Amino acid sequence: MELIVGTVTNMLISSSMFILVALGLAFIFNMMGILNLAHGTIYMIGGYVTYAFAVWVGLNSWAALLVSTAIFALFGVFLEKFCFRPFVGNFDAAVLVCVGITVVLQNIVNNMLGTQVMAVPHFIRGIFRAGLVSVSYERMLTFAIGGVLTAVIILFVRETALGQRMQAITQNREAALLQGINVNRLQSLACAIGCALAAVAGSLMGAYTNLSPFMGDDMLATILMLVILAGAGSTGGIVIVGAILGSMNAILPVLLTGDYAQAIYVVIVVIILLFRPEGFFGHEA
Amino acid sequence: MNSQATTHTVKRKGRTRATRGAMLGLLLLLVCLLPLTTDNPYWLHIFILTLIYIIVSSSFRFVSTSGQLPLAHAAFMGVGAYVAGMASTLLGWPAWVTIPLGAVLAALTGALTAYPFARLRALYYALASLFLGMAIIYAIIAPRDWTGGRPGLSGIPALFPDTREVFYYLCLALTVLSLLALYRFEHSRIGTTLKAIAQSHMVAGSVGINEVFYRILAVGVGCFFAGLAGAIYAHYNTVLSYTSFNLMATLWIVIYVLVGGIGSFAGPIIGTALLVIVPEVFRELKAFVPYVSAGILLLVVYLMPQGLISLPLLVKSWFRDRADRKAIHVK
Repeated sequence: MELIVGTVTNMLISSSMFILVALGLAFIFNMMGILNLAHGTIYMIGGYVTYAFAVWVGLNSWAALLVSTAIFALFGVFLEKFCFRPFVGNFDAAVLVCVGITVVLQNIVNNMLGTQVMAVPHFIRGIFRAGLVSVSYERMLTFAIGGVLTAVIILFVRETALGQRMQAITQNREAALLQGINVNRLQSLACAIGCALAAVAGSLMGAYTNLSPFMGDDMLATILMLVILAGAGSTGGIVIVGAILGSMNAILPVLLTGDYAQAIYVVIVVIILLFRPEGFFGHEA
Repeated sequence: MNSQATTHTVKRKGRTRATRGAMLGLLLLLVCLLPLTTDNPYWLHIFILTLIYIIVSSSFRFVSTSGQLPLAHAAFMGVGAYVAGMASTLLGWPAWVTIPLGAVLAALTGALTAYPFARLRALYYALASLFLGMAIIYAIIAPRDWTGGRPGLSGIPALFPDTREVFYYLCLALTVLSLLALYRFEHSRIGTTLKAIAQSHMVAGSVGINEVFYRILAVGVGCFFAGLAGAIYAHYNTVLSYTSFNLMATLWIVIYVLVGGIGSFAGPIIGTALLVIVPEVFRELKAFVPYVSAGILLLVVYLMPQGLISLPLLVKSWFRDRADRKAIHVK
């Protein structure tokens, strides 16, 4: 029972966090055609910035989370203006810029704090108990925030005028420009949302597990898989594929020992990709 | 008039070829003399690593001429390294057997995996091969008893334990041979075919080119040299860790190639030499080494979009523009 409850909560938490980070990557990829290889690093730094505000500055955890989210929204605007916009349509240069950012940020964190074990202070304490089931509130909260934010973002993209303009850019950049949509501003908005979501996810995971300078690398690999498997231009697909990957990520280690589980997980993804390169829900081959 | 122009160009071409040959000879001589310039074994270590990574990045570029971005390349280097390392630690085979074995097995795994991957193109190929690289790395570290798992494989016999100089010359010879082979491949009918496939697989298919065969061939040849470099690395370093071959390692190879210039044969060589050697100049400030690399990287992206190889052209055009402006001013 313990094992089942633990696995189910792990499933829910990793799914919601994967989806949250992947949404940002997908926005940037769909609208600008740039694969933001620095997204995992932003997720990692997001956790560290929240830690810095909560522990060093001494803010409340929630306030620290808000401040760090705001900082990363601004960082997203900066990133779009100086690092992505000049390289739209130039895949090689975009890869170089993103890797450059990753190397710099990751090394700053690793050199300053790499050896220390640290975690974002808990957002909430206590354990929920009902009969045989006991789950910490922290885990429930992580899943709840992830789920609510995902729902809000999807409603935003589908229902509001701004979101629909973003979808128009995804479908056809030139046509969107001709319709008088301010493409640059919406790209900024997408990058800001994407980076902010990554920072939120990093902070939540930093409270749920420990922070590490390399936690972004695994996340980057997972969200790349997620976005490609979901297919270009699909936000709903990300939720479904995110749930599948999150479940696999939680269930496989229970059945197999560590690295075999990882190997099988990646091999399954590669095989799916070989048969459906355009992803499950993509509209272009 | 026309024939005159032709003879003129032929003459010029002949002259550049001669000067080119002389310059290459001079460069080779300098590289041969390099170990004599320093007593510090650490620099020799850096030079050996540079040579090994030149093989890897040049073979990466060779695969990329066929329009495929092989983001599993460091993993194939790992296949070569681990095959050589395991053959010598578990079976006790000598290095003269294990190094070719590593190269051949890396080429075989590369070619076998290339067959299903030949249905993917462009970005989808790049990402699928990235995941393939991850799968290979996990497959390497999962059987802990044979490969040493996450802590790594240790106790591989060094090829020349006493002198690094001999190893340097061996590496140099292998690097020069590999580069010659890759150059010949690229400038042969095969290389032209690969470039045709990269430009348009449909046109290439319509003139009777077997796209799948040539793409597998490109990956096989590229992985052979990656595996060769890995096997040499195994017998040089004597300890292997999966972190030398994972996603970040592949991204560094991509960086070496792109910083040098992916469009030219000399690009990966220049990029690797610069990015491996220059940060070491700053190694007294150990923490700053990654920033130096990243700085070079960002400088190249913003100032030289075609890579470092385009620097002379950029300088030339800058001077010409300035001369033009001056001429206008005088007028």
